[in-house]
Amino acid sequence: MRRSSRPRPGVLARSALRETIAYTLPAMILVTLMLYIPFVLSGYYALTEWNGISKTPVFIGFANFVTIFSGSPEFLKALVFTGKYALFFILLSNVLALALATVLTRGFRAVNLVRGLFFVPYIMSMTIVGFIWKFIFTQGFEHLYEFTGWGVWNYSWLGNGQLAFWSVLIVGVWQSLGFYIVLYIAGLQAVPGDVLEAASIDGANGRQRFFRVVLPLLGPSITTCVFMSLTNSLKVFDTILALTKGGPGGATYSATLEIYREAFQNNHYGLGSAKSILYFVIVLVITQLVLRFFESREVKA
Amino acid sequence: MKKLLSVMLALAMLLSAASFAAADGSAEINIFISGPEYADAIRALIDAYKEVAPDVTINYETTQNDYPTLLKTKINAGECPDIFATTSGKEISVYKDYSYNFAGTPAADALLDSVKTVMSIGDEVHGFHYVSNFFGIVYNKAIFEECGIEFPTTFTELAADCEIIAAKGYQPFSTGFAEWWVYKHIFQHFLDAASDDPADLVAKFQAGEVKMSDYPMLYDNFFNFIDLAVKYGDSKPLETDLAGEESALGTGKAAMILGQGAWVENDLLSIDPEIQIGFNGYPVSDDPAQCQVISGSDQALRIYKDSDSLEATMDFVNFWLTSDYGKTWFADVCNVIPTVKDAKVPATAIATQGNELTAEKGAGAVAISYSTDSFHQTFGEIMQAYVGGTITKDEACAQIEQKWVELEGSAE
Repeated sequence: MRRSSRPRPGVLARSALRETIAYTLPAMILVTLMLYIPFVLSGYYALTEWNGISKTPVFIGFANFVTIFSGSPEFLKALVFTGKYALFFILLSNVLALALATVLTRGFRAVNLVRGLFFVPYIMSMTIVGFIWKFIFTQGFEHLYEFTGWGVWNYSWLGNGQLAFWSVLIVGVWQSLGFYIVLYIAGLQAVPGDVLEAASIDGANGRQRFFRVVLPLLGPSITTCVFMSLTNSLKVFDTILALTKGGPGGATYSATLEIYREAFQNNHYGLGSAKSILYFVIVLVITQLVLRFFESREVKA
Repeated sequence: MKKLLSVMLALAMLLSAASFAAADGSAEINIFISGPEYADAIRALIDAYKEVAPDVTINYETTQNDYPTLLKTKINAGECPDIFATTSGKEISVYKDYSYNFAGTPAADALLDSVKTVMSIGDEVHGFHYVSNFFGIVYNKAIFEECGIEFPTTFTELAADCEIIAAKGYQPFSTGFAEWWVYKHIFQHFLDAASDDPADLVAKFQAGEVKMSDYPMLYDNFFNFIDLAVKYGDSKPLETDLAGEESALGTGKAAMILGQGAWVENDLLSIDPEIQIGFNGYPVSDDPAQCQVISGSDQALRIYKDSDSLEATMDFVNFWLTSDYGKTWFADVCNVIPTVKDAKVPATAIATQGNELTAEKGAGAVAISYSTDSFHQTFGEIMQAYVGGTITKDEACAQIEQKWVELEGSAE
């Protein structure tokens, strides 16, 4: 019997390669156009002095970076703010999301509806969220204060620099909680039931089961959620822009908002690009460190 | 691979064909400006122009939020609008590469001199506007009558009047300190009073040659005024914005609003059509002659220099500023004080009182036009920090001086 109809192995591999390239080429082109090329251009602009409007940027070498390191207290302030925001955001988001996910995997009657409700804020547009919460913080709280007389409603949540941080944090956590809940629900549902059964046979109560069995097995989910909440909080922009625009008095400028201000409001596009390159390096280092740390603690089932 | 290439080639041809289709045909003018509160009036103007020049298509777009960023994006994408907006005065030099000098055209000759000076570099006229604004304190005449007082023209009188108004149960000020531009509007009155040549004074600040503490009018009077406004103003000063101010004055809760001008009149009348609007200058010192209103254009519309439809755009602008329809449009359709000669002035309360006060005491120069909004936004933030109590007066002054040099020091 002749093996005439089967193509030779080399031909098979070549056509598979062609298919791979053909399928990934459109995505590669788009990613290059939208991400890589602007990134490289941003690096070029970081070495120039440009106001974003005049026809030719002026090449000034590394002077922008020198400016950042020697005389830019706002960028440092923004970095500290972002760091604080990220820390609290990761903590609050993950603890709340895990707690809510545990409740939502119990299987009570309206569980699907409630899961949906928690997810709704995540799909709302940032502008709407900003308007709603601005209204709540100013007029809503005012009426609550008239109703109850509790001092907490009378604070200037958006007008006081310290409080504005918490306002922005609350809105940020509220908005993306649904996303992390979904991830944690998926993780919880993947915990094998027989392991839990074995644990309870061995005499473990609910709390011990959760902290000694479920949590370690949730390792990959926790890594994912911590990583996502880290990157999202380091990039926080829309929430702050919608709620306080960086105010009051510049108290709520995150790193990204500060870069935006430098580039577009102060007309220092070169300096803004330099700051964004620097921030990219910072975020890269932090995320790599965090990822390494969490991955080393994962329990490989 | 070949199939992919041919598909992409077809796509590229399709895209280029689409762009060619737009190029032929009648002239097209793209207007992208800020100031959406006048959108209806401008649409009426465009409809009127359609009857004069039916071949011309005018695409009108307006926004207020993030306008400068959007404009920069359009410029860098190669789609600079044929008519775009900036602030008047110093910002001309920022956009000089793109703005057309239309000195000598009927439109340029029609502009009032006070407007033309803030639109020009030397003899070149780079902008025009359709609103000549008045800046000052807008107040509720009924409340002042009830308290038995006249509008104060000195600072001491103002402080005393605030006590009287507060005792009657009204809130003397609504300050709108959440908005960054309220501060620049208040500050310009003090700049005008601090020097006979405020343009030169601002230039000195931009060069870092002087300090705020060199000028008691700025160091003492301005900050005393702000302190007074906070003391007798909103309970949460950094949360009140323009809407809050208008609502406080319109509903009769507050007696005076700060940092505003002629543009609030329409909104106030829509809240309370019976409201008696009073208008006057800022009592900056104990010299009543220095309590002046400021009049002029703080915004400028510019024409794109390399526009494909430059002639059509110029014709439209000439129509806007010089035609018979145009001259009545300011008062009748737009309800604003015109920026051209021989045009009808609307009978709004603020315009009437503003003109009376100008005839009596003269009007101050629009000092905010000597700096760009980049500086003013930072200035607003620094003052917000001062109002919020996070920085002291000396720290605020030091930051203001530093930022003035940093953001505007080098000539663009």
